[in-house]
Amino acid sequence: MRASYKWLAEYLDLADLSPAELADRLTSAGLAVDAVEPLNRGVERVVIGKILEVRPHPQADRLKICQVDVGRGEKLEIVCGAPNAAAGLVVPVALPGARLPGGVEIRIAEFRGVSSHGMLCSADELGIETRYLPKRDVEGLLILPEDLPLGEDVVPHLHLDDVVFDLDLTPNRSDCLSIRGLVHELSAILRRPHRFPASVPGPGASGECPIEVRLETPRCPRYEAQVLEGIAVRETPLWMKMRLLAMGVRSIDLVVDVTNYVMLEWGQPLHAFDADAIAHGTIVVRQAREGERLVTLDGQERALTPDMIVIADPEKAIGLAGVMGGENSEITPSTRRIALESARFDGASIRRTGQALSLRSEAQQRFEKGVDPAAVSNALHRATELLVQLAGSHPVGAPRRVPAEADAPKPTVISFSPRACARFLGVDVPEDEMYACFESLGFGVARGEDEWRVEVPARRSDVQLPADLYEEVARLYGYHHIPATSMRLPVEAPESSDDLKLVRKVRRALVDWGLCEVRTYALTSPEAEAPVAPSGVAVPLLRPMSDDRRTLRRHLLPSLAEVARYNLAHQVSGGAIFEVGKVFLAASWPQDALPEERAVLGMLWFGEREGHPFERPRPYDFYDAKGVCDALLARLGIQVAYRVSHHAYLHPGRQASIEVGGVMVGTVGELHPDVGDRYEVGRAVYAEFDLGRLFPLASSEVRVHSIPRHPASRRDLAVVVPLGVESQALVDEARRTLSERGVLRMVRVFDVYTGVGVPEGHKSLAIALWFQRDERTLTDAEIDDAVKAVLRAWETAFGAKLRS
Amino acid sequence: MSDTWRHELEAIRGEALASLALASDSKALNEWRVEVLGKKSALGQMSRQMGGLSPDDRRVLGEALNRVRQELEQAWRARQAEIEAKEKALRLERERIDVTLPGRDVPLGAVHPISRVIEDIEDIFTSLGFSVVEGPEVETDHYNFELLNIPKDHPARDMQDTFYLTDEWLLRTHTSPMQVRTMERMRGRTPIRVIVPGRVYRRDEDDATHSHQFTQIEGLVVDEGIRMSDLKGTLEAFAKALFGPSQRVRLRPSYFPFTEPSCEVDLVCVSCGGAGCRMCKGTGWIEILGAGMVHPRVLDMSGYDSSRYTGFAFGLGAERIAMLRYGISDIRMLYQNDLRFLRQFRHA
Repeated sequence: MRASYKWLAEYLDLADLSPAELADRLTSAGLAVDAVEPLNRGVERVVIGKILEVRPHPQADRLKICQVDVGRGEKLEIVCGAPNAAAGLVVPVALPGARLPGGVEIRIAEFRGVSSHGMLCSADELGIETRYLPKRDVEGLLILPEDLPLGEDVVPHLHLDDVVFDLDLTPNRSDCLSIRGLVHELSAILRRPHRFPASVPGPGASGECPIEVRLETPRCPRYEAQVLEGIAVRETPLWMKMRLLAMGVRSIDLVVDVTNYVMLEWGQPLHAFDADAIAHGTIVVRQAREGERLVTLDGQERALTPDMIVIADPEKAIGLAGVMGGENSEITPSTRRIALESARFDGASIRRTGQALSLRSEAQQRFEKGVDPAAVSNALHRATELLVQLAGSHPVGAPRRVPAEADAPKPTVISFSPRACARFLGVDVPEDEMYACFESLGFGVARGEDEWRVEVPARRSDVQLPADLYEEVARLYGYHHIPATSMRLPVEAPESSDDLKLVRKVRRALVDWGLCEVRTYALTSPEAEAPVAPSGVAVPLLRPMSDDRRTLRRHLLPSLAEVARYNLAHQVSGGAIFEVGKVFLAASWPQDALPEERAVLGMLWFGEREGHPFERPRPYDFYDAKGVCDALLARLGIQVAYRVSHHAYLHPGRQASIEVGGVMVGTVGELHPDVGDRYEVGRAVYAEFDLGRLFPLASSEVRVHSIPRHPASRRDLAVVVPLGVESQALVDEARRTLSERGVLRMVRVFDVYTGVGVPEGHKSLAIALWFQRDERTLTDAEIDDAVKAVLRAWETAFGAKLRS
Repeated sequence: MSDTWRHELEAIRGEALASLALASDSKALNEWRVEVLGKKSALGQMSRQMGGLSPDDRRVLGEALNRVRQELEQAWRARQAEIEAKEKALRLERERIDVTLPGRDVPLGAVHPISRVIEDIEDIFTSLGFSVVEGPEVETDHYNFELLNIPKDHPARDMQDTFYLTDEWLLRTHTSPMQVRTMERMRGRTPIRVIVPGRVYRRDEDDATHSHQFTQIEGLVVDEGIRMSDLKGTLEAFAKALFGPSQRVRLRPSYFPFTEPSCEVDLVCVSCGGAGCRMCKGTGWIEILGAGMVHPRVLDMSGYDSSRYTGFAFGLGAERIAMLRYGISDIRMLYQNDLRFLRQFRHA
């Protein structure tokens, strides 16, 4: 909402307040002023002048030489290129020494041999927002009213000596979408009376209104119409044009401008129809029919739905109620009779209509946020008054009011306790101060001992509850008066989610091990996920902003791969990254249940691992990832097993599922080369954990066991097995074989070798076994026997041969 | 006779000490020892020859021999210590390394700045007696809007353009639904003091200050007798903990459908300390979060009698805090995940 300082000042004494001070007061009362903009953007020493004579420039076809009277007796010779320059016109004249917006300074200048003693100005050159002016005022010189005093400064006469407040109103304050509403508010903020009439008298014309009105929808509780005849003047006076411009509304023609002007003054949107376009002299307000179409004022044909309210005559729709008029009933230069509409429409319905048609008019915004019921008649009277004054129109008959009986808007009555208010705010606002707040707002107050009855006028429909009154008190008294107090600490210690603690633990550990945490978008596209081919369907947005962010992600890899791709393309040679985020899973869509939200830890190692500068960087490999997984699981106190897995997006020979008691909690594997290529990340290793499954297994409990006093003996064995045999199988077999003896403390594979000395299709595994008992030292014989048993078991199970 | 011995002994001693002075390394020293003190040495021979002497001479000579032997041994030990010290010094000198070369790499990752901010804020509020909970990112219209006093077709819905999945399901536009979910879970028990960090989504074009996905931290307090001044006090304590003890907060009236009264909360500009600069547009204050007293309708709809209980709620953007704190000018940097950017947070 824009607001003209001068317009406000018409109704309220603002002489002692600069626009900047006023803006501060508004902002601190909750009406945030985003900007304070002078309408005059730097016009100095531009005066009103009259072109007395125009003759062509002898040397230039497109230039003219004008003799201009600027009220000094002598004539000024000014060269001008505007096509509309003509004798008799009154125009703005920038004299030598004048300044124009943008830092332009005017001097005596020569144009092809003719000296020009100034410059005749267009609206644009004066820094006026031309988009708010009608076309004829924008092309060429700005033509001023003939009766302006020559030689005087143009700024006040052009009404440029005004300042505009750009207000960022919150949606609850629709009452301030008008000058009168703002004056009410300022009157309360500044505690000074306003000076406008509470109502506007009717036009005084009597007799039957020539237009019938039928309301056929409950979404229009009130409709009033006034018919006027004759439009003697069609040009909007300069002051009104400039006031509309200050308010950011485009001037169109006098009739439309009057409706807009009154809307800005009263907050009540009005519409003007060509009364002769209304068939059978009857206005019908109804829901649109299925398949009905209407060409609106902007020339667009609109497909209407039964949810929309239309203004119609018995034959056709002539307007979209509260949103935009119809072209078929538009005011045109040939219009002779006007039907003015002032009505109330259901805000929610207006809002839906605007959204469905992507329209957002000033009228619509006011209807959807709510207009003052008391303004309907007043605005109609005011517009009638202005049309009579400015256009020379005559009212025909009295206004038509449907329903006929005036609905006295019922004020909201709220019971208010000053003590409860002070307790709630935590500040002892004096009762008289509270009273003064309500009074200055125009609220009625019946003061009681403990309970007051506060009557809120209908224009403040946002105030309904005691808490709303507390807010009025607080904001007018000043939020800065509220002290900072502290609450008692609760007795019970706060119970925070264990999962959040574990996420922190994981984050801390991974960062300490060299991984960088990333945060990526949850919105993606099926195409981006295609290389991973996640199961289920992607849940789509109804109205996405772009194709590549139109579904909820089902997997973290595409997000992490995108980060890797970006970094590899930006001179980062490699890295290890992770994210804790959600994936959204659905078996089908639409489905009866909300998508499952699964918290996942995803990790990606890509490019080269940089170690010590003297060491050669090497690509990250599977075991880098597995090492981190192992460490992480150890940190969480979880024992797992790695099993060969078969995800299509991972390298078929370099992936494993991570399992606890047969339940998969995670996956680790090198990307399938095709997937690496499609994501443009080359060789990379991915690992993920399903945190919903992993975290319940985590334990931070420690029960120490005593450190054995008897020495352990280590035996290293090198055995040759077929390539397909996994080392874990040998470890497991050794454990199983010796489980009853209770002598095997630890098994660890410490080398894998293929090549000379090992038969084709085989590998040599070096495995260390530690033997130990808590209660005594083992004898060599016992250990030798255990080793033999292990070797036998390996040979039986895997054909393992001791390497000689 | 004994004089001869004595002279000979003196000669051996003199010679041995002279040659000891010439021994310059461990090897020479060892050779000297064998030569001078060993069995085949002159001293050794003299000892062996002592058998033929009278008991008196033997005693006198023996004592003399022993004295010389002890003296030489002592001289040898001293010399040995001297040489060892010298050799060790030499070895240490040879072992000198270039200490300015880089150390062996310990890879250091970095916590994402948003996570850092969330953790810090969680810690601050935990110390103020709040617990931390999380909620779903896919919400229902009911929880995201209606139970927060934003009915369908309410103009306030324009404040948050929404990604819908169906007519009823959506990506939450704020963490505020957790106000209602928390009150429902608590079933009328008090006090309630929670904060809720989480990702939220709005249908905004991404630019330097907008992101279609961002991170909010919601706070909710419900109890008997909670005052608006408690809201101010809590937020001021928070501001001081996060930005330093000289911080203050300023409340400005505003509007949120689920709080009444509502306010925007400003901090003293972290860039200029309140003097006024470009960042705060000369006002000395920067907006940091929205807050207010829980709307009576929201309390009632969530099972808390608004005539008995009051409360406050606030919601702040982790990105905004991160940007202020770390001097980040474009919110998109937080989602670009350029490692050259993220690695700057190694020490943070």
